[in-house]
Amino acid sequence: MSLAPPLFLQTIEDTAFSTWLRESESPFAFYFILLFHTFGLALLVGANVVVDLRLLGVARGIPLAPLQRLFRIMWIGFSINAVTGVLLVIAYPTKSLTNLDFYIKLAVIGLAIWVMQRLKTEVFADASLSEADMMARGATLAKWSLFLWFGAITAGRLLAYTYKYLTYPS
Amino acid sequence: MNFVYLHLFLNHFPIIGTLVGLGLLLVSLFGKNDDLRRASLIIFPAMALVAILVFFSGNGAEGAIKKLPGVSEAMIERHQGAAMLALLFMEITGAFSLVALWKSHETSNTTRWNWSLSAVLLFSIVTSGLMARVGTTGGDIRHPEIGTGQEEVTETSMLSKMVQRFEPSPDKFAGLMTASKWWWAFMMDMHFVGLALLIGTVGILDLRMLGFAKQIPIDPLHRLVPWAMAGFGVNLVTGILAFTGMSNYYTYDWAFWLKMLAIMLLGLNVAAFYLTGAFDSVEGLGPGEDAPPFAKFIAATSLVLWFAVITLGRYIQSYSDTISVHK
Repeated sequence: MSLAPPLFLQTIEDTAFSTWLRESESPFAFYFILLFHTFGLALLVGANVVVDLRLLGVARGIPLAPLQRLFRIMWIGFSINAVTGVLLVIAYPTKSLTNLDFYIKLAVIGLAIWVMQRLKTEVFADASLSEADMMARGATLAKWSLFLWFGAITAGRLLAYTYKYLTYPS
Repeated sequence: MNFVYLHLFLNHFPIIGTLVGLGLLLVSLFGKNDDLRRASLIIFPAMALVAILVFFSGNGAEGAIKKLPGVSEAMIERHQGAAMLALLFMEITGAFSLVALWKSHETSNTTRWNWSLSAVLLFSIVTSGLMARVGTTGGDIRHPEIGTGQEEVTETSMLSKMVQRFEPSPDKFAGLMTASKWWWAFMMDMHFVGLALLIGTVGILDLRMLGFAKQIPIDPLHRLVPWAMAGFGVNLVTGILAFTGMSNYYTYDWAFWLKMLAIMLLGLNVAAFYLTGAFDSVEGLGPGEDAPPFAKFIAATSLVLWFAVITLGRYIQSYSDTISVHK
């Protein structure tokens, strides 16, 4: 890839907001957003992992139906991460958008959210299902969920080690 | 921050604590005393937690004294290698103690011997010996009344010669951690995976005690605790390895030490949960039943502290070099 990164990345980076996010010494700038991105991860993946483990037979004494309430926590976590994720891209647009890993991460998250929604609609939304039926229907989805969230975290962590440009090359 | 005082103050706890724990365990074997056995199984994980702080503070203490006249770097290296090996065995002892505690809870039968108790016994004996060596090699660094100030490190006894073969060279070990950025990235990745597992499982239990999803009875939720411990274990291992790889980066960082403080407070919180009757008061709660205020207080403390741990961990990078060392 010898082509220069597209110019709009530089335009975003030169805005006052992007510059503030990236360069401000304020504790509420970059690291604050990164922190909330981690909080969101803990809520989204943490809650989903509990549902996945239960569907795979861990702690079978936990009744499945009330676990439906965890989906709200997952969506809160997802919302936090959607907002903070956009802000992180605004802070370092060239770093993220020129990195293939960034697109892999988005794709994996998309798949993981799709699986999460299927868990909700196919396993939890049908009140007529017995616990055994729910587990039978949910086991494969739960395995995919664990695998995809592991992949999402990994792809996210790798963003710190795989970028080509930190900021727009001058 | 005076790391020398911190190190000298803390270092006695795991050395003496392990011996006390081992003593109690041995007495409990002969006297068939459940309370003593339980006490020893609680002391080992507590010491395993404190030993991490001692290990971390050692790097700051080294930084403060290594330029002083009469201090031999070779002596420090030997002490550090001994500490790494002892820390490994201390953490394994703590982990097996938690397994043994869990098993005795599951079977509500503390007198029955099982493999986990044998493992605790074996590892705590080895740990006690290794801790003694850490103490003496540490004392050799700067105690003019016992050392001769000699620069050469010579192992005199057969036993210490043998043990030394298993001790890593601190510098080489640190180099291994940072040699490949992919290994480092893998450790950080696993630290985040452990975080998600830990927060998810502990968080749901805490939230239930606070009144969220009350239809779930507590006892089956409590069975997620070994998964939380697995997450914590992953983060403990990756955290210690990361520290040994970049020890100066973490040592002079306020956010790092506050994070360690929060983790120690979480240890106390867990102890308060299981030892003050809070756990007994919630264990039998069925669907719709409310936890008593003290259990709620412990659950809220746990949530606040875990999010404090994440917060402080996140700020390590931006707070690096915020601790100035007075000479």
